[in-house]
Amino acid sequence: MSEREQNGNSGCTRRQFLKGGVGVPLAMALAGGMVTVPFLKRADARGFYLRPPGAVDEKRFLGACIRCGKCVNVCPYDSIKLAGPDAGVSIGTPVIRPREEPCYLCPDLPCARACPSGALDSGLQEIEKVRMGTAVIVDRENCLSLRGLRCEVCYSNCPLIDKAITIEARHNERTGVHSIMEPVIHREKCVGCGICEKTCVREKPVIVVQKTPPKLEDHYEF
Amino acid sequence: MSFKRWTAARRSVQAAVILLLGSPLVGQSFFNGNLAAADLMGLPLVDPLAATQAVLASRIVVPAFLVSASAVALFYFLVGGRTFCAWICPVYLLTEAGDALRRRTGLAGRTAPLATKKWLLLIVLCVTVVTGLPLFEILSPIGMFARAVAYGGYLAISCLIGIVLVEVVLSRRIWCRSLCPLGGFYSLLGRYSPTRVWFTPSRCTACGACARICPVEEVLEPSLGRGELRVVSGDCTRCGACVDICPHRALTMKSFARH
Amino acid sequence: MPLSRRDFLKASAAAAALAAATGGRLGATEVEAAEGGIRWGKAPCRFCGTGCGVLVGVSNGKIVATKGDPAAPVNKGLNCIKGYFLSKVLYGKDRLTKPLIRKGNRMVEASWAEEMELIASKFKESITKHGPDSVAIFGSGQWTVFEGYAAAKLFKGGIGTNNIEPNARFCMASAVTGFMTTFASDEPMGCYDDLDLGDTYFLWGANMAECHPVLFSRLIDNRLKNPNVKIIDFGTRHTRTSQMADKYIRFNPQTDLALLNGIAHIIVRDKLYDENFIKKHVVFKKGKTNIGYGLEDKFKFADDPKPLTFDEYREFLKPYTPEYVAKLSGVPAKTIEEVAKLYADKSRKVNSLWTMGFNQHVRGTWVNNLVYNVHLLTGKICKPGENPMSLTGQPSACGTAREVGTFTHRLPADMVVTNPEHRAKAAEIWGVDVKKIPEKPTYHATEMFRALDRGDIKVLWVQVTNPFQSAPNLSRYRKGARKGDGRFVIVSDIYPTRSTELADVILPSASWVEKEGFFGNAERRGQQWFKMVDPPGEARNDLWQLMELARRLGHGKLFPYKYPEKEMFEEYRRFTGGGKDLAPYDAYVKARGLRWPYVNGKETLWRYAEGHDPYVKTGEGVKFYKNKANDGRAVIWARPYEPAAEVPDRQYPFWLCTGRVLEHWHTGTMTGRVPELKRAYGAAVCELHPEDAKKLGIKQGGKVKLTSRRGSIVLTADLRGRGKAEKGNVFVAFFDENKLINELCIDAYCPISGEPDYKKCAVKVEKA
Repeated sequence: MSEREQNGNSGCTRRQFLKGGVGVPLAMALAGGMVTVPFLKRADARGFYLRPPGAVDEKRFLGACIRCGKCVNVCPYDSIKLAGPDAGVSIGTPVIRPREEPCYLCPDLPCARACPSGALDSGLQEIEKVRMGTAVIVDRENCLSLRGLRCEVCYSNCPLIDKAITIEARHNERTGVHSIMEPVIHREKCVGCGICEKTCVREKPVIVVQKTPPKLEDHYEF
Repeated sequence: MSFKRWTAARRSVQAAVILLLGSPLVGQSFFNGNLAAADLMGLPLVDPLAATQAVLASRIVVPAFLVSASAVALFYFLVGGRTFCAWICPVYLLTEAGDALRRRTGLAGRTAPLATKKWLLLIVLCVTVVTGLPLFEILSPIGMFARAVAYGGYLAISCLIGIVLVEVVLSRRIWCRSLCPLGGFYSLLGRYSPTRVWFTPSRCTACGACARICPVEEVLEPSLGRGELRVVSGDCTRCGACVDICPHRALTMKSFARH
Repeated sequence: MPLSRRDFLKASAAAAALAAATGGRLGATEVEAAEGGIRWGKAPCRFCGTGCGVLVGVSNGKIVATKGDPAAPVNKGLNCIKGYFLSKVLYGKDRLTKPLIRKGNRMVEASWAEEMELIASKFKESITKHGPDSVAIFGSGQWTVFEGYAAAKLFKGGIGTNNIEPNARFCMASAVTGFMTTFASDEPMGCYDDLDLGDTYFLWGANMAECHPVLFSRLIDNRLKNPNVKIIDFGTRHTRTSQMADKYIRFNPQTDLALLNGIAHIIVRDKLYDENFIKKHVVFKKGKTNIGYGLEDKFKFADDPKPLTFDEYREFLKPYTPEYVAKLSGVPAKTIEEVAKLYADKSRKVNSLWTMGFNQHVRGTWVNNLVYNVHLLTGKICKPGENPMSLTGQPSACGTAREVGTFTHRLPADMVVTNPEHRAKAAEIWGVDVKKIPEKPTYHATEMFRALDRGDIKVLWVQVTNPFQSAPNLSRYRKGARKGDGRFVIVSDIYPTRSTELADVILPSASWVEKEGFFGNAERRGQQWFKMVDPPGEARNDLWQLMELARRLGHGKLFPYKYPEKEMFEEYRRFTGGGKDLAPYDAYVKARGLRWPYVNGKETLWRYAEGHDPYVKTGEGVKFYKNKANDGRAVIWARPYEPAAEVPDRQYPFWLCTGRVLEHWHTGTMTGRVPELKRAYGAAVCELHPEDAKKLGIKQGGKVKLTSRRGSIVLTADLRGRGKAEKGNVFVAFFDENKLINELCIDAYCPISGEPDYKKCAVKVEKA
């Protein structure tokens, strides 16, 4: 009869429990944990991830997203991809890399509708209410429009043209007879789809989607 | 040896799961998602442990989400709890293959206790609440497997190979037996499930074939040793290997049976 | 960036070496500067009729960079993004480098000798069997002046056929006939300076923001400097131009005819016209009405002008009351009144600008006449800052097609084959027997492709254009090209296109700065450039191809030149006195373009105007001196409203309009090979109004099927693009070689100009 049989139903001495039951496996789990802890950095330590439309704030998103991949599969443009191990705790979560393929704002938002856990708000109906991020011209010196050339491709392709991006013309001092047509982003309207980032004709896009900065309140209303 | 009914059925289901997980690659739309959550021909399925982690981590409650998760939990409760492990989970299939390799090489003989995975389940849930990150969904080899099948990825494949190596060399089937929190979760359901392996002592010749084939042989001891007529433990995966292998048909799988 | 001494020495050495190598043809001034191993030379942009100046940087025999030319008055260093990527346009991977001959379904490489011999033999055979009118050449407003001149000389003076037509027939012909019937002379009287000097701008059927980008930038700057400036956009679709205009006036397609008459009606009714101006400078005429649509093959039309008195003209205008016009056009009567008053406002300097909305129109000539009417009634013409200006689409539709006269009925410098004096002058300059030049025009472009389809033309040579993507009712003409039975299609191009795929023979050609060239832009500015790089592989320039054919056909003596480009230019110049004077070639070499008439070393900014145009004598004020038949006066034509050729009905309830976008040029053969431009705008889409989409169950990004009586196409729907279709209208750009929208377009044309109407036909719109 084995030791187990001798000890009855529960099958363990206290010593065995501590040594075999908890000890070794726990040690292994801890070892595994130490290997993986470098991945477990703070949510946005690796910079901003552009989430699919309807995403809740990043902290809650990382909690609610169960990495099921449904949103990835329903996107008709293959814009949504899964983050890899370089994303740390975001591994396996859906991200959009606009320069590869931006979000084209399908009117019925199939990605949000597919999400079971509420990481993407499946009740979101209007694309105007999407807040994935905000576009910013990060490199004014390389922007062709700002240098006076006629480009404004970001503006022309914006799905919320004349709302999220407008053109503000100003005098071109250098030529004296032309205007500079500056694309101006309005962050309360910009949904952060990234079409501007993709279509920018420079080798490195001068307009990119970034995390929407918080609105700073004051009383100056014009 | 007569035709292994249960094993054949189980292999078919395992194969179907692999195909479903890979179906996005060929653009099929009747299965969308993976084992954490999916739509199967319109039916929304959710892993109950994943749902628990998501709600604990994010405090977001989507009623439909919890309903699906509960339905799935109820289903597995009815069919045996760890039935998920033996019939659905691709990591189980992988480690079964690893175990065959282990038997050939004759290496790892030790096993780790079954109860550990319930403790790990508890730890996972606590960490999830505290950090707001669904720990097991991040580190789950099941998720890794599904993503490796659908999208590839070197990390996923390395982790899975790592698990197999540990199981071949160090500790037999340690992941499924002792570490997997999801297994721990389902073992809790399986403890009281109406679907069980039943034992007919009159036919038993104590040949021990069932104990040798069972991946969690501890669950058979009450039946073999103490005359219990059914497998009580939640850790029984309802894989049916013992039923198939018994030369005297002393074991059967029954639902809602009585003494 | 200042040059280091070493760089300067290097550059000077390079310049000297270059001068030596090119036999002194490139003076030191042409090698503009050498910095860091890049040699820069000037050229006009390869794309639109704006004619921006660029500097092209060459290193190791390749174009490595381009930049806007700061010294060019047109653009002062700016470009649009098409111009920005000029350095990439010639280096697509599939550049044609070898002559190709069709053998069955495959194109097989051949030598130039083989290919030119084959072409010559086909020409000879066809001319012998079927006469000289069985061969034809379809050229381009993107031909250099030398190429156009050589083609005209060869075909009209050598082969003896008037079968030469440019693709400009598809874009500017109505503007030309408008000019000719109103002023007896082609080309605008104003120039780009009018964009800086005026204060009121009416845009008609012109998406200037996207199609003349640098000019639009200039217009907007005028408004920034002078808040008094008003820009009014008349359109059938809300474009980027509409967005930036002060007022967008949407009207029902085709009713521009009624609107302009309605404006004239109010001006006459309220006596807002300049009586003095009309007395001195205007005659009134009327022509035929119900003039047809050219839908039948060999449709012929000859107008029958009859003089009118002012009172008769007033009577003619009577029905065009604001209420009538409002009903027809959908523009409120009040708005029409405001517009008329604005046009006539004596304190304002009023300009009209238009492009394809007016020209690609079954009454294109008429609508050009009608806009001149308003300016002539009010005397707002031939003044700095106050002119009607026809904007030209192609880089040299003016310089080559129109001024050199590469049309079936034309000779250089406004002359026509029907006039014996003109033929005599051409024969004299060309050194040919006057009987060689045929006196009857044969086919304009649409009829030319119909003739190929029927087999009346057997041999067609296509150069520098892509008609088997751009012709209207495209399917017929694509099929026609491959009917066999003696037909032989030659295409000279730089890339495989929807036209080369139908060719029997493909000639790899040189483009832009791979050859010496000369373009004339929309403001009469001729711009010259030198060859800067060799074409790739075995490609050769179109001029050489033409001269080589001439030689093999026995017409080599028409081209006895050592330096063909310059010598032909000087020969062509002999045609151009008396108001279309061109400068000597060397003057163009030195300058950043020169606006003709160029007399006594001076450009002319404003034609027909005293003090600006040297042909207007002191005291004359304004004189339309080219209109000798009408005593130096311009003609106000009584042209009525007539409906479009095909109007939406129960079965085909939508208007289809076609056009361009900023990122792509025409059929996209060049811009489509720039990855950045493709990424910026990849495929053609269907602009649809959201309410129409909702009724049809079509969502943003969903697929829509357009069907006309001539073809159908499936496109992605765009409900939120930069251009917004009005209800009952759809718009599709024609640059996409995978979406041949022109298959749906109707080949109805203006009977006077022969220009097809690409802006109006009827389609069915369904969810696909």
